Amino acid sequence: MSHRRRGVLIAGALAAVTCQIVVTYVPGPPQPLIGTITQSLVGLSFLAAGIAAWVRWPASRLGLLFTITGYLWLLPNLGHLPYALPFTIGNLAAPLYEAALAHLALAWPTGRLRSRFEVGVVVANYTWNIGQSFISMFFWNPQTNCGPSCPANLLMIHGSQAAENALGVISIPVGLALTVTVLALIVRHWQTARGWTRRAMVPLLWIAPAICALSAVQTVAQNTSLPLFTSTTAGNILYGYLPLILLAGPALFVAGTLLARTARGAVGTAIVDLEPGAPPGQLRDTLARALGDSTLQLAFREPDGSGYLDTAGRPVDPDRPEPGRIVTPLPGRDGAAPADTVLVHDGGLEHEPQLVRLTAAAASMALEHARLQAEVQAQLEQVRASRARIVEAGDAARRRIERDLHDGAQQRLVTLALALGMARSQVAGSDPDLAALLEGATKEAREAIAELRELARGIHPAVLTETGLPGAIQALVERSPVATTVSAVPACRFPAPIEATAYFVVSEALANVAKHAPAATAQVAVRQSAERIVVEITDDGPGGARPDSGSGLRGLADRVASVGGALQIDSAIGGGTRLRAEIPCQ
Amino acid sequence: MASSPAVLVVDDHDGFRAFARTMLEAAGFAVTEAASGAEAAATARIIRPQLVLLDIQLPDFDGFEVARRLALQEHRPVIVLTSTREASDYGGLIMSSPAAGFLPKDELTGPALHGFLAAGRAGGPI
Repeated sequence: MSHRRRGVLIAGALAAVTCQIVVTYVPGPPQPLIGTITQSLVGLSFLAAGIAAWVRWPASRLGLLFTITGYLWLLPNLGHLPYALPFTIGNLAAPLYEAALAHLALAWPTGRLRSRFEVGVVVANYTWNIGQSFISMFFWNPQTNCGPSCPANLLMIHGSQAAENALGVISIPVGLALTVTVLALIVRHWQTARGWTRRAMVPLLWIAPAICALSAVQTVAQNTSLPLFTSTTAGNILYGYLPLILLAGPALFVAGTLLARTARGAVGTAIVDLEPGAPPGQLRDTLARALGDSTLQLAFREPDGSGYLDTAGRPVDPDRPEPGRIVTPLPGRDGAAPADTVLVHDGGLEHEPQLVRLTAAAASMALEHARLQAEVQAQLEQVRASRARIVEAGDAARRRIERDLHDGAQQRLVTLALALGMARSQVAGSDPDLAALLEGATKEAREAIAELRELARGIHPAVLTETGLPGAIQALVERSPVATTVSAVPACRFPAPIEATAYFVVSEALANVAKHAPAATAQVAVRQSAERIVVEITDDGPGGARPDSGSGLRGLADRVASVGGALQIDSAIGGGTRLRAEIPCQ
Repeated sequence: MASSPAVLVVDDHDGFRAFARTMLEAAGFAVTEAASGAEAAATARIIRPQLVLLDIQLPDFDGFEVARRLALQEHRPVIVLTSTREASDYGGLIMSSPAAGFLPKDELTGPALHGFLAAGRAGGPI
C-alpha cells in the first residue's frame, strides 16, 4: 500500500473518530452509555482491522471491506445530530453495514467472491438494505415519536405508520431469507474448502451464526411492534450489548494473522525437527502439517524434463494447476527455470506470500541438505570401499612376497644348508679344517633361513592362509612369551581381509602384552554372531594403554575400520587391558 | 640291513629332490621321486614305500591332502611332512593329519628319517 493511501485511510479513521465524538456529545435525545460504547468499539475496531489488513494483505480486498464496514457502521451516528440532512442520511444508512458484513464474510479469506451467484447475493443484500431503508423513510415521520424537537426526515413523502407496518411485514421474510442464504453459503464455503482455506474458514464458522442470529432478531424487532422489543432494556440489549459480538469481525482478521504467524513458526520448527536427510515424502508431510494444508504437494521435475511428479508419484502440471491451487517454484541452486521442484498448495495462501516464501525456502533448504548428505554419504562410501581395496591389495601383495620368499630364496638356502652339511660330513674324517669351515657355513645358512622365515612370517603369516583363524591364533599364542589361553575360535573360514584383520588384532595385542606386561596372563576369545565376529583379548597386566599412545593401536584401529569394524580399548590403570574388535564378517 | 627301505620324496623343487636323493641314498634308502600330489599317490600305490617325505607346498594338492590319500591306501607308509616353513606355521594341521611327524627341510638327514621309520614300526600303524 502506498504512503498516500495509508495516509488517506488514517485520516479517514481520524475523521470517523471525530465524527463519533461529535455525535456522541452534541445536544439531542439522550443515548444510553452502552450504545455509545458499542458504537465506538465496533466501528473503530473494524477501521483498525481494515488498515491493518490493508497493510498485511495489500493485494487483497479484505482491508477495503473491513474499512467500508467500519465506515458504514459509524455512518448512522449522523442521525444523532439535530440537523435534518445528517439526521436523514444517518437514518437512511442505518442497515447498510449488514450488507457490508455479509460481503466481507462471503469474501473471506481471500477477499474475492467465489461465483456470480455470490456476487448476486451481495448485490441483492446492498440493494435490499438501501432500498428498504429508502422506502421506509418515505413514510417515517420521526416527530410522531420524539416530538417537534426531532429533526425533519428530508425523504418523508407521507408519514404513515400503516405503510411502515406493511413494509415491515415484507421486510422480515426477505431480510431473514438473505441472512439464511449468506449463512448457508458460508457453511458451504467451509465444507468445500481444503487445506489452508478450510483452516482459515474455521473462525468464521463460529462467528457467522452468531452475527446472523443477531441480524435476524434485529430485523424482526425493527419490523414488528411486539412488546418484547419495545422496552428500554430490550433496546439496550438489542442495540447496545448484543452488537458487541460484531467485535468478532475484526477478531477474524487477528485470527487470520495469528494463523499465518503460527504457521510460520511451525514451518521453522518443523524444518529444525526434520531428521537430516529425510526423504521428500517426509518433508512434504512435515510441511503439510506445519501449514495445516493437507493438500500440499511437493513435485519434482522428472530427470528427462518431461513433467513433474509429486511425492506420491502423481503427475503435476505446474502450468495448469487445479482451480483454487497455486504453484510456487522452489528457489533453485542456480536460479534455473523451470524450477526443479515446485510446491502446489491451497489458493488461500495467496495472501500470505511471506509464509509461502518461507515454506519454499525451508523446503529448498531441507532438500539441498538431503542432497548434500546423500552426496557426502556416497563419497564416504567410495572412500570406505577404496580404503578396503587398498588394504586388501596390500594384504595380497604381502601374501605374494611371503610365497615368493618361501618358494625362492628360502628353498635355495635350505638346499644350500643341506649341501654344506653333507659336504661337512663327507670331509669330517679327512680334513678337519675344511669340516670346521663347512660347519660354520652350515650354521650361517641355517641362521639365514631362520631370519628369512621370521621375516616372511612378519610379512604375512602363512598359517593364516593355510588354516584360517584357529591355527593362526594358536600359532601366535604358542610363539608368544605371554601365558595365553584361547577360548573357542570359529572353525569356519572368513574372507581373507576379515581373517587378516582379526589375526592382526590378536597379534598386536599379544605383542603389546609381551612388551608392556610380560608377566601377565592373557585370554584370547573369538566369537561369531550372525553378522560379525568379535575378537577380544584381555590381560591382567597394569593397564593404562591408550589408543593414541602409539602408532600400533592407532594403526590397528585403522585396520579394523578398513573392513567396517570398530576397535574398543578398555585399559584402566591397574585394571588390566581389554581390546575388543567387532568386525563385520559378511 | 636286510634291504634298503624305500622312500618316496615328494617335492616340486627339482633341486631339493635331487639333493634329497643323494643324501638319502647315501644313508641307505632306496629313493623314488614325485613332483606333485597326484604323482605321489600314484607312485606310492606301485612302489609301496615304507616312508614318504612329503613337502606340504605342492602345485596340485597340499601335503595334508596327499597324506590323507596315502593313509587310505592299503599299504600305509610312514609319512613325514616337510617344509621350509616351521611346524608352527601350520597350526594344528600337522597334528591332525595322519603323518607321523614333521621335519623342517633344513634339518633333513638320513638318521632323522631312520628315526621316523623306527618309531613308525614300533608304534605300528599310525
